[in-house]
Amino acid sequence: MPELDVVLRELGRNVGFPPTPDLTSAVRRRLGERRSWRRPVALALAMLVVALGAALAVPAARTALLDWLGLRGVHVVRVEQLPTVPASGDLDLGRRVTLAEARRRAPWLLVPAETPDRVYVNDILPEGKVSFLWGTPTSVRLLLTEFRGQAFVDKLIQPGAKVEMVDVGDEGAWFEEPHVVAFRDSNGNFRESTARLVGKTLFWQQGDVTLRLEGELSKEQALRIARSTGE
Amino acid sequence: MVSRPPTEQELVERAKRGDEDAYGELVRAHQGIAFRTAYLVAGNAAEAEDAAQEAFVRAYRALGRFRRGSPFRPWLLKIVANEARNRRRSSGRRAALILRAGEEGSSGGAAPSPEGALLAGEDRERLLAAVNALREEERLVIACRYFLELSEEETAAALGLRIGTVKSRTSRALGHLRESYA
Repeated sequence: MPELDVVLRELGRNVGFPPTPDLTSAVRRRLGERRSWRRPVALALAMLVVALGAALAVPAARTALLDWLGLRGVHVVRVEQLPTVPASGDLDLGRRVTLAEARRRAPWLLVPAETPDRVYVNDILPEGKVSFLWGTPTSVRLLLTEFRGQAFVDKLIQPGAKVEMVDVGDEGAWFEEPHVVAFRDSNGNFRESTARLVGKTLFWQQGDVTLRLEGELSKEQALRIARSTGE
Repeated sequence: MVSRPPTEQELVERAKRGDEDAYGELVRAHQGIAFRTAYLVAGNAAEAEDAAQEAFVRAYRALGRFRRGSPFRPWLLKIVANEARNRRRSSGRRAALILRAGEEGSSGGAAPSPEGALLAGEDRERLLAAVNALREEERLVIACRYFLELSEEETAAALGLRIGTVKSRTSRALGHLRESYA
């Protein structure tokens, strides 16, 4: 019998790999999407005070608006079209941990008064990202996400989307429309994720912690939970 | 001026400067090997497609860290295999490698062994079954080296191993195949 390596090479030519799909167009499309939304983001950042001023549902004092834009963690950017984000259905919560472990990883953590069903830590951001989940990952009632620091977060919303400033923590805002959250991860890469739930979201800042509460709930319910969240 | 197709290094340099057409050429040139590598690691076609696509997008963004003058393929395959591994963990199962149904262009049915083939059809089946039965780490080395015909360096990059480990694991795997296939 011939050498085994020679035989294996011949065998390899007869292995039935699935046909290679056309990756070129898909990759080109994705590079293009990135380019076409990052530029508007940069532009929008320059103009966002005006844009937001025009679109805020609640007439906000200009100073308050400027303050709000100063939220350390979050910028709100209005774009013509939301970028396409793969709808994976994956909440990207990270690993499930106990509350004590979450506190060890993220000593800055603010804990809600109502005990969550599950706690997760994701190292996608430099100082960690903690999620409190009520319900199960496949049937989420409520999701509270917290992170701290200079994570660069953009919140992209479409024109006409309603944003309402609310009184919670240092600064807060209530969103009722689908939006996309873009941020830089620990490796410095830009990532996007959609609001994975129904699109109703309360975003607020407390000290240097940014919190996001998502779920099918009214603004009043969201505010109650937010105000109950503390040390 | 004589126009010749750009070399891979030229394409890489152009892509680094943001030339997406140049990068498209690189994707076209490498998508076959990228997809098959992802398929070996992830074990199913859908995950492999997803992994390979994601890897190409990531590689484009990471081009700034690509060392000028080094070969593109091992660098790319490392990213591809990483993406594929991440996906395999979440889905678990992998398909066994199978023989092509018939030679390309044939109308199906049992393909006779081509003239001069080293192995008859049933021996191929048997040898492939032996490869599939290897431990995962050995199966991957054999498949990378002989089925994808990757170099030792490329195999090492794709599987995250040292070249020495690729060598020793390959010879161990060949030994196991000789035993089970004898």
